[in-house]
Amino acid sequence: MYTLEVKNLTKNFNGLIAVDHASFEVPEGSIFGLIGRNGAGKTTTIRMMMNIYLPDEGEVVLRGVKIGQEFKNQVGYLPEERGLYKKMKVLETLLYFAELKGKTGRDVQKKAEYYLNRFELYDRRLSKVEDLSKGNQQKLQFITTILHDPEFIILDEPFSGLDPVNTNLLKDIILEMKQRGKVIIFSTHLMDFAEKLCDHIVMIDHGRIILKGSLEEIKSKYGQRNVSLTHGGDISFLKGNPIVEKIEDFGNSTGIRVKEAGQTQELLKLLVENNIPVKKFDANEISLHEVFIELAGNEEGPAASSAAGIKEARYA
Amino acid sequence: MLNKRIIAVIKRELREKLVSKTFIFMTVLFPVLIFGMVGIQALIFTDSGNDKIDIVSETGKLTESFQKELLSSDLMKDGKTSLTFFTMNQDELKDFLDKRKKEMLDNKITGVVYIPEAAMKNKRIEYYSQTPNNMNLTRKLEGPLNKVLIDNYFGNKSLSKEDLDFARKGIDFSGYKVSKENQIKEEGYGSLVLSYIFTFLLYISLLLTGQLMLQSVIEEKSNRIVEVVLSSVSPREMMTGKILGSALTALIQMSIWLAAIVAVTSSAIVALPPDFAVNITAVQVIFLLTNFGVGLILFLSLFGMMGAIFDNPQDAQSGMWPVMMLIIIPFLIAISMMQNPNSPIANITALLPFTSVMVMPVKMTLIEVPLWQLGFSILVNIATIFLVFPIAGKIYRIGILRTGKKPKWSEVVKWLKYKY
Repeated sequence: MYTLEVKNLTKNFNGLIAVDHASFEVPEGSIFGLIGRNGAGKTTTIRMMMNIYLPDEGEVVLRGVKIGQEFKNQVGYLPEERGLYKKMKVLETLLYFAELKGKTGRDVQKKAEYYLNRFELYDRRLSKVEDLSKGNQQKLQFITTILHDPEFIILDEPFSGLDPVNTNLLKDIILEMKQRGKVIIFSTHLMDFAEKLCDHIVMIDHGRIILKGSLEEIKSKYGQRNVSLTHGGDISFLKGNPIVEKIEDFGNSTGIRVKEAGQTQELLKLLVENNIPVKKFDANEISLHEVFIELAGNEEGPAASSAAGIKEARYA
Repeated sequence: MLNKRIIAVIKRELREKLVSKTFIFMTVLFPVLIFGMVGIQALIFTDSGNDKIDIVSETGKLTESFQKELLSSDLMKDGKTSLTFFTMNQDELKDFLDKRKKEMLDNKITGVVYIPEAAMKNKRIEYYSQTPNNMNLTRKLEGPLNKVLIDNYFGNKSLSKEDLDFARKGIDFSGYKVSKENQIKEEGYGSLVLSYIFTFLLYISLLLTGQLMLQSVIEEKSNRIVEVVLSSVSPREMMTGKILGSALTALIQMSIWLAAIVAVTSSAIVALPPDFAVNITAVQVIFLLTNFGVGLILFLSLFGMMGAIFDNPQDAQSGMWPVMMLIIIPFLIAISMMQNPNSPIANITALLPFTSVMVMPVKMTLIEVPLWQLGFSILVNIATIFLVFPIAGKIYRIGILRTGKKPKWSEVVKWLKYKY
């Protein structure tokens, strides 16, 4: 069952196409990742989903109805570029943003106090935002995102600029929201986070959707011929071997792809025969990063520079 | 048109602005300044205190006639002026002045008036004082002194009493204000004072409110608050809320100012001389506030638009001049109107959008303006809002999310074609 359907979204800025006929579906109760490198069109897509940008083409449909203000009221949105009114007081800020979502009164106040307590900001509730540390301002921003009890939580690059404490805090919030049946959509260029948190992903590159599906499916589809290897010694002899299609060094581990699905055991045999100390041999395993590289190519080269062009266009 | 979200934005603007130091400071300071100015003017034109003047004439005959004339003149009626009469020639005067110098510097006497014999022919009178340009005093002495000189000059000639009376008389200008009302009223300088006050209040308020709007939009943009807000409200709702919030703040401030002026001028706190009595009518107040309210929405949409185009106050200041001109030019016209409220430029600009916000209320303090013109100027401004608002809204919508280098004007024009 899909809650949100993105249909054919297209946006161009001054002739540069930022998002090109993007379509995907967000399933009920999932953590949904929008993955791509900087400038791929993630923010533009999210802004169109939030009705901040009007798409040139296409639409976003919520349970069969085109999104509008009702959708906005049900969303907690944390943009990549975050900000608060510096001169406003902490509690006042929370109540204001809740009011913009149509929530006022005693209940919201209580809830704001609950979250302030939980995030250890209660003592600062009457301080001005500008007197808070950066970390505390980030916490406050999280609370504004979830205070009105949204159905959907949309986070644009949520982990950028967070310290480790707040990164964990945000992860906890995301998981808690998932348990409560909310839909969480976040964009990131950090594949690790996506891999750890997401149920479903969409990969976007140069404004186009290059991959979508559940993480499990994707991994098994792309992982069949893949081995993630941690080893000692020298494995350069594998280069040129007829069963090996590709070797990629990721530092701690090496990704090896064999030519056919059944050849992974052969590869293990080959390593043992050559006295390579195998520390970890993970067949049918592939990281999102590897999938992404396979589909979108390396970040260097012409692809990267045109991606930068789109980044500029995004702000045009 | 006004939904909950717009009202929430308006409330936030009001909360933020009404308790800001700038607002409180300006609200209190401005009436103080105005009354200071009016008070000083009033002081200049009223008696500053007791004047002690020595009247010195070269001949005994002159002294006698001056004594007779001056002591019975209006000058002596308030009892604040005391005159002492002397007779001496030029040489004696020199010694006399040396002796008097210290007393003059100590403010024990105000000054010495010397009437030489030659004054009988050339009417040249000398006045020695620490403040020789005290117009107020010389103006009062002028009449009686002139009378004596005229009497002396013509006394020897055979002139009828009527001729003499005519010659003695100075010219008396009485200003009469012509208006539609049946009575032609004698007009003092009150309306001029009022036009000054209106001009400055409107000018300062427009500049101040506009600047605050500009700063607040730039702050939201550069602090990245705007995208968080836009996830809840539409850009148009946000801009409408901000404009109405700021306009309300300015209207509240203007009402406080006007109320203070009405309270002071209609009570006896500041005793203005009758010539300067300020008379504010209800029509003037209602029109000024209505027209100002409409004008604020018009100007603030421009200021909001400018704030959205620029990233930082420096860039914004350099791009602001076209809007500033729309405030400064009417200000200059309003000032010049005090010379001639019926000049063609005043008549035209009182009916044009933007300029009428300042010119019309000032004009109506100076001369009678037909009611239709008042209505017209408000309608023209409202019509202009409908023209300007969609454009400003579009530029705001695009500019507010845009970061990076300062856009060229040609780019801004292109934004109008974007579909956002």
